[in-house]
Amino acid sequence: MMTSSPDDVSVCLQRTVSRCSCLDMAVDITVLFKASVKTVKTRNKAIGIGFDSTKDEIFKRSRPKSGFSPRAKEVITNITKLKDFLLQHRKDYVSAGSLLSTDHSRMTDSERDQIDQDAQIFMRTCSEAIKQLRNEVEKQVTSVQIKEHRGAVLDLIEMYLKGVCKLYSEQRAIRVKRMVDKKRLSRLAPEHPSRVGKPKEVEPTQEKSVKEESSEKSVFEVTTTQNNSVNLWEEGKVEDELSPEEIQMFEQENQRLVSEMNNMVDEVRQIEGKVVEISRLQEIFAEKVLQQETEIDSIHQLVVGATENVKEGNEDIREAIKNNAGFRVWILFFLVMCSFSLLFLDWYDS
Amino acid sequence: MATSIREKQTAALKRMLNFNTPPLKNAAAEPVWKVLVYDRFGQDIISPLLSVKELRDMGITLHLLLHSDRDPIPDVPAIYFLMPTEENIDRICQDLRNQLYESYYFNFISAISRSKLEDIASAALAANAVSQVTKVFDQYLNFITLEDDMFILCHQNKELISYHAINRADIQDTDMETIMDTIVDSLFCFFVTLGAVPIIRCPRGNAAEMVAVKLDKKLRENLRDARNSLFTGDGMAAGQFSFQRPLFVLADRNMDMATPLHHTWTYQALIHDVLDFHLNRVMMEEGGATDASSAGARPKKKIKKMYDLTAADRFWQKHKGSPFPEVAESVQEELDTYRAQEDEVKRLKSIMGLEGEDEGAISMLSDNTAKLTSAVSSLPELLEKKRLIDLHTNVATAVLDHIKSRKLDVYFEYEEKLMSKSTLDKSLLDIISDPDAGTPEDKMRLFLIYYITAQQPPSEFDLDQYKKALLDTGCDLSPLTYIKQWKAFTKMAATPANYGNSGVKPMGLFSRVMNTGSQFVMEGVKNLVLKQHNLPVTRILDNLMEMKSHPETDDYRYFDPKMLRGSESSIPRNKNPFQEAIVFVVGGGNYIEYQNLVDYAKGRRVVYGCSELFNASQFIKQLSQLGQK
Repeated sequence: MMTSSPDDVSVCLQRTVSRCSCLDMAVDITVLFKASVKTVKTRNKAIGIGFDSTKDEIFKRSRPKSGFSPRAKEVITNITKLKDFLLQHRKDYVSAGSLLSTDHSRMTDSERDQIDQDAQIFMRTCSEAIKQLRNEVEKQVTSVQIKEHRGAVLDLIEMYLKGVCKLYSEQRAIRVKRMVDKKRLSRLAPEHPSRVGKPKEVEPTQEKSVKEESSEKSVFEVTTTQNNSVNLWEEGKVEDELSPEEIQMFEQENQRLVSEMNNMVDEVRQIEGKVVEISRLQEIFAEKVLQQETEIDSIHQLVVGATENVKEGNEDIREAIKNNAGFRVWILFFLVMCSFSLLFLDWYDS
Repeated sequence: MATSIREKQTAALKRMLNFNTPPLKNAAAEPVWKVLVYDRFGQDIISPLLSVKELRDMGITLHLLLHSDRDPIPDVPAIYFLMPTEENIDRICQDLRNQLYESYYFNFISAISRSKLEDIASAALAANAVSQVTKVFDQYLNFITLEDDMFILCHQNKELISYHAINRADIQDTDMETIMDTIVDSLFCFFVTLGAVPIIRCPRGNAAEMVAVKLDKKLRENLRDARNSLFTGDGMAAGQFSFQRPLFVLADRNMDMATPLHHTWTYQALIHDVLDFHLNRVMMEEGGATDASSAGARPKKKIKKMYDLTAADRFWQKHKGSPFPEVAESVQEELDTYRAQEDEVKRLKSIMGLEGEDEGAISMLSDNTAKLTSAVSSLPELLEKKRLIDLHTNVATAVLDHIKSRKLDVYFEYEEKLMSKSTLDKSLLDIISDPDAGTPEDKMRLFLIYYITAQQPPSEFDLDQYKKALLDTGCDLSPLTYIKQWKAFTKMAATPANYGNSGVKPMGLFSRVMNTGSQFVMEGVKNLVLKQHNLPVTRILDNLMEMKSHPETDDYRYFDPKMLRGSESSIPRNKNPFQEAIVFVVGGGNYIEYQNLVDYAKGRRVVYGCSELFNASQFIKQLSQLGQK
């Protein structure tokens, strides 16, 4: 078991009990530092060196507050506000509704749309602010390090904003998916809505949007009125030959139109769901394409450089051929002259 | 201790970078930006553990060297991470005077002395910046962790504590003291970060003993100092009260001189031996650098490439200790899996093309979109995998080129036979005089291993023959002088190290014609199979951990800093085998020993450390310097 003696164990345990269990292995010597500052101060006083503290204080306070930092911090506080707001209302936003329709924390659709709109405007303003700050950083003439630092700061803020946007888009995707699923499950009976008494496969416990309920109600009312009217008319059929049929026809047409409208509304909702998903994918693709843009630019540069190099190479080769040819001509000439001179000398001698 | 030393050090660094408060786990937390200023020591410590991207994620916008030109960046807190040396302190005072940053957090890698603290205090007073100095910390991180279970002391000024510095003939006592102090300081920081007080064992009569005595003293002083002890709180954190203390074995390089010269066959050790590998970073030139035939033609453009071999690279973690042919196969396998996944993604494209006519089936469409989304999101993973495969292909090809040109497999086999004292099938003279087997350095290494492991020294005649052959091939003979001295020295001490019996079974000539995808043609390179054998250091550790009795280790001294009485007794009081051990080699170590320890330590935790990390060529250089004195 333990190798140390029993009193060691007790000492160790005492120490653990008395000391707070901090995981810091590093030692905070700030206190030591402050003590050293005091010692140095007293030592300096003893020697007689005084420091002009007041002037420096004023100087420090009036150091120009560069506009960058406070504005960046402002953007961050705004984004945090948005995040808090989204998180606060997240539960209500996403809730699929409860069995009790009297749940007062339920949100209406219009409220949800309002939240969506507000959030989008907010996010847009934030990204505009970031872009603006970036342009300013580019234009301002400061040192390379400060530029790099500010660029990195803006990157951090952008990543933060992206994180918050992801929160929002997740929420929204969940909401849309839920609505689409609901639509699918609670779809009214297709064709022939004029058939009275056809059992409607409506799940009354599910929460419906206001339009849905109203449309249902209207269909129901229409059918009931139709029922009644049919009964009534059946009795008084004799009075008017054309009109009851006409009215019946009109009512049938009415119902048909209503059901068509319903279907169209359903389809529109479906398409909306699909479009949201497609837009998300589109976003991802757009991001990737933008990433590739820089690479393609550089490839373009390289290709342009390569074509120029090839052109120059061609020129060089042409010149070399010319030089070669010229050189050959001179050699030929020289040899011919030599041979002629030989012949001449030979003829001269003999 | 469930976490490895690397995780502990990384956690300490992350805490420091978060202004010494524990970092929050909340992913969408507000960003706080800061600037990191370090000196070269700090850079060496941080670079194997945190990548630039991780630094950025933690909010570090700029990371700068202390002794570079830095511009004032107002409104930003600055975190300093440096050693408390004179010049660093001067530069800090200068920074304070120039008012470069808004607030300062000073973190010293090892403990700072009171006088230097007062220097900073007076500079802060002069610049009226005392309120800006927010925090000062002693981080106790003066060591570099390379792997989960391997650490070295320093990389920057390693000549100061190198083998050469410790063993040279003209060393003064004061020099030795400084070297020992540096080593002990780093070891102390290591144990503080680990959070445990070990039991120390060391051999007698060499540098390791001096280190052990000093370390014991330092640990003892710190434990006695009830107010400022560093060993409370952490090691006994909730639920982890381990009665087992780790065993700390100090070894000296002089005990085993053959292993650093040995040619090796495992992946990581090969990279360290053959390529330029420092702090987990490989520097390579690409473009046919080793092709001898291109000497006549215009030299191809050499592109310098740098690769980081990190803990996140799963292939590397799995195969860094495997023999080289296995690595080649595995790279091929990885490439195949990657290709299969790529085809899978491409197939989705065709699916999407056919789909889209079916209106009523929303579910099918949403499935496909879900598939597409998952494929798109898995693309970054695939790209990363491809990058790693490319990296390893390049590195392994470079290593293979070296092996083929220098015939390293022949050397490896021969040296294994020498070290295990089995029969030799070729005479040493043949290999040395063989013109195209390896560089002169390789031959020198082989001969030194022969000389070290020979039971009796070769006769004068043989020795002259060998010397002549070596000189013919262009070797420098000064290492031999030193090794002769060393051999004479150690003969007086214990018996020469026994390298264990091993057998190397070559699987015959292995010629594999690769398919089109692979780039490794291993014809002519023997596929050697390593049999498990124990190097001297591993054997010593085994004896000490398992409390076996062995003439080699019975004589070792025993220190326990926690004991109240500073007894010099060599009787270990613990009769149980240890579960955890830390081995430290004073004078330098290398990856071969590390790999051997890892192979030995199945199920137990063994950490390997050394005062510096050198490969065989660097070691030979140091030996030549020693031999020339």
